[in-house]
Amino acid sequence: MCPDNDELDEEIRGHLAISVNQRIERGEEPAAARLAALKEFGNLTLTRESIQGVYRPRWFDAAEGLARDIRFAVRSLLRVKGMAATVIVTLALGIGANAAIFSVIRGVLLRPLVNRDEDRLIYIRQTAPGIGATNMTFSVPEVNDLKSRVPSVSAFGDFSTVDLRLIGLGSEPRIVKAGVVGGSFFEVMGLRPVLGRLLDAHDDGPDAEGAAVLTYRFWSISLNSDPTVVGKTIRLGPRSATVVGVLEPSVPYPADTEIIANIVTSPHHLGATMNTNRAHRMTELFGRLAPGASVESARAELSAVHTAMVREHPESYSTKASVQLRVTKLRDQIASPARTILIVLLAAAAVVFVIACSNVANLILARSVRREGELAVRAALGAGTGALRRTLLAESLVLCGAGALLGLLLARPFVAVVARYAARFSIRALEVTVDSSVLWVGAGLAIAAAVLLAYVPRLPSPQAPAGLGLATGGVRITPGTNRRLRMFATTQIAFSFVLLAGAGMLLATLVAMQTANTGVDMRHVLAVDMPPAATGFGMGDANVIGFHEETGRRIAQLPGVDGVALTMLVPWRDRFGPGIVFGVDGYTPVDGEERPRARFRVVSPRYFAVLGVPLIAGRDFTDEDRRDSELVAIVSQTVAQRLFPNGDALNRHMWWIDDYFGKVVVPRRIVGVVGDVDDENIVRAPAMAIYQPVRQIGVVGRLLVRAAGDPYALVPAVRRVVRGMSADQPVERPATLEDIRAEVLSPDRLNAFVFSGFAGIALLIAVVGVAGVLAFSVSARTREFGVRLAVGSTPRHLLARVLSEGGRIAAIGIAAGAAGGYLLARVATKFFTQVELPGMVPVAGAAAVLIAAAVVASLMPAARASRVDVLQALRSE
Amino acid sequence: MAKHSDDQRLELLQGTLDMLLLRTLQWGPRHGHGIGQTIRAQSDDLLRVETGSLYPALHRLVKRGWLKAEWGVSEANQRARFYQLTAAGKAQLSRERDRWSQLVDAIGRVMNPARASEE
Repeated sequence: MCPDNDELDEEIRGHLAISVNQRIERGEEPAAARLAALKEFGNLTLTRESIQGVYRPRWFDAAEGLARDIRFAVRSLLRVKGMAATVIVTLALGIGANAAIFSVIRGVLLRPLVNRDEDRLIYIRQTAPGIGATNMTFSVPEVNDLKSRVPSVSAFGDFSTVDLRLIGLGSEPRIVKAGVVGGSFFEVMGLRPVLGRLLDAHDDGPDAEGAAVLTYRFWSISLNSDPTVVGKTIRLGPRSATVVGVLEPSVPYPADTEIIANIVTSPHHLGATMNTNRAHRMTELFGRLAPGASVESARAELSAVHTAMVREHPESYSTKASVQLRVTKLRDQIASPARTILIVLLAAAAVVFVIACSNVANLILARSVRREGELAVRAALGAGTGALRRTLLAESLVLCGAGALLGLLLARPFVAVVARYAARFSIRALEVTVDSSVLWVGAGLAIAAAVLLAYVPRLPSPQAPAGLGLATGGVRITPGTNRRLRMFATTQIAFSFVLLAGAGMLLATLVAMQTANTGVDMRHVLAVDMPPAATGFGMGDANVIGFHEETGRRIAQLPGVDGVALTMLVPWRDRFGPGIVFGVDGYTPVDGEERPRARFRVVSPRYFAVLGVPLIAGRDFTDEDRRDSELVAIVSQTVAQRLFPNGDALNRHMWWIDDYFGKVVVPRRIVGVVGDVDDENIVRAPAMAIYQPVRQIGVVGRLLVRAAGDPYALVPAVRRVVRGMSADQPVERPATLEDIRAEVLSPDRLNAFVFSGFAGIALLIAVVGVAGVLAFSVSARTREFGVRLAVGSTPRHLLARVLSEGGRIAAIGIAAGAAGGYLLARVATKFFTQVELPGMVPVAGAAAVLIAAAVVASLMPAARASRVDVLQALRSE
Repeated sequence: MAKHSDDQRLELLQGTLDMLLLRTLQWGPRHGHGIGQTIRAQSDDLLRVETGSLYPALHRLVKRGWLKAEWGVSEANQRARFYQLTAAGKAQLSRERDRWSQLVDAIGRVMNPARASEE
């Protein structure tokens, strides 16, 4: 369409030639005629360019204009480096935090699973709201009932987790977490092998050969992706199995196991309890929707079958528990624990962004007031409102673009922190990386901020002539601007307060938990897992007990060991279900009263001495408490006080009331009362616990060693002692009780850490905001301060005045934040079950921190105000 | 030579150049130099179109489809680009002519209220 250069040149040459010809015909000299024609034509290049301009598309002009504006913006921002840097860093923090949280949310909640047709996968669980169980899994008879009666689920897969001793694959004997699956599991889950094959229908049942699949993580990390692993034989507990393949990388759900084996590898799965006891629940159930079926139809059908099943077997479902069936998409099931926490984090990140934006708005507003003169000159020279806005937009685009760029750089470490944090709630967080979606989020936020910011400053209005300010370039601060500045600063304080109070609450909880008295000497006690050869079966076997006792004796003889005890669980690390119902002499529950429950514990003599738990009355167990002697028990202080208010617990009898112990009542004489040890809760609660001696029950293989010096220094010696007695006995997870408890606390610590991080960022931004507002307000009121000094104010007065302004902003912000936070918590209770309002201490602490920060932030501007030179100030306008 | 000195010459009213160009081409194709001369001659030398405005305007009208351009040879045997009205250009000319007479009429009423009311 556009004529090329030659054509344009020819047209212009033609014009000149015609003009020259006419002049010559009129009688002019050829040379003079040529000169006159050229003169008449004017600027050749300019004409050619404006002709070409006709054919340029409109956006080209716009882009050129924008580029010009941006060059101009960069130049003018370079003149205010401090302010520009503050804005960029502030925005970077806000954008980086949001981008990071968003990538984690995308990775954990939104991304599809690798499983084939993953949206057809469902997860089925039983809940018992009556006894507070959210997932009580299934027993084999239940699974069989559901499998046989539900047509809208085309196939079911089952998975249960067991601890098996693994020998082979070039490592010491050790206990691994293993999944045990039926033949349909991998087909239902829609997973593929990266090596060899997966388990299928041929591997199902009690007559198949033992076969195991390695998970990708285990294979790639522990075995260095060894390609020759397929076909190797490993020993799993008492059986052996062949490694048939390696699973592709996938979300390990329901458990992060190292191997997944077929049923024959687990003797327990072949036993009668597993297959006939309807209440023996340890299987998790997955389903693949039949073609045409929806989650809703499957849910309806499964629920109907389940209800019928519960009715047919009332003995296995107590009415109090009110067992129900839940069906969710697998993806939602995996994501659900992380959902709430991620949404809370997103809210925190959004708050930081709001704070960042309002801070930046503040700085830009202050700057635009300073440059009202410049804008007025430009308006006077003919720049329209649009052009001025475009200048401002270009400037905020430069600022926000730079901020977004820096923010994206920050996003990488942020994602690492947040993903590690979220991994506690969803395994999927481990795979989260910074992806391109972050770019879009960053760019979106930056553009939103830029457009917002460009509309913050007022333009010189055509009605009010700005002539006065033009020449002097003085700063004229209007009440309106001032109010807006303060409003932004107050907003920042209010939002920071909410975050600070929240972080304070988490910190207070953490400190309370960390410093809580546990009643146990944690620093000097080393806990070691020494699982009996199989999986805890045969725990009462005299040989097994003898082995553990002999091991304990030999360890006790090591130098630096003050005592050794056997127990069934390591405090805070191991779990042994809820308390068990028991009865005692001379106590009959009133009608309708719940029978008492106590924790069932099996310990060796010297257990209480090793832990440092005081023996309050009676005696400790001794080696004479054997199976063939009188059955005895020791109760915790709380049991003694609740059931024997008269303090006569000793020599009375107690007995467990549970099928687990058989139908016959076996009374045990209470021979001792010991201090409470809460080995389940981090913060000690009154604990009902009843202990019986190892020799009368059996061992589960936990060893407690009390050290005189550094407990960890004993680990090699302990390992040598065990190796000396048996080559196959695993020795695992040595740790002091102190470290075990700290490990349990680490999610709380991470919670507090992440939230404090957000609160810290918010506080930093708010301090910059308050300082900025006051500094600006002081510099704009130099004259006012001069007048005040002239009429007799002292510099100290002015100092106090500015400080109190800072304090007032903070106070109003805190009040607004407290009110807003309270309302927010009220709204949140409607959506989340657990919403805690922070106590007085964190709230007061947050307020104190903010007031202090505001005062510190006002110090510099206040000092400047008090140092105003009277004469200069009065002359300044 | 020139019938009028420079300060007697009139500034073109904004927006009227297109109309003048279309009108000038009503009598047939012309090249750029010829168009400028015609406007000058017909306005008794009161209106002069600078080449810096004339050529961009011509190209703009071509782009809009109101004119079309073809290479030809001038009376002095010089190769030149000849501009010609299209059908759309003719329609545009009559629209602009109407708007122009309305404008003149309106301005006339404002400037000479007495005469307007007599009519």
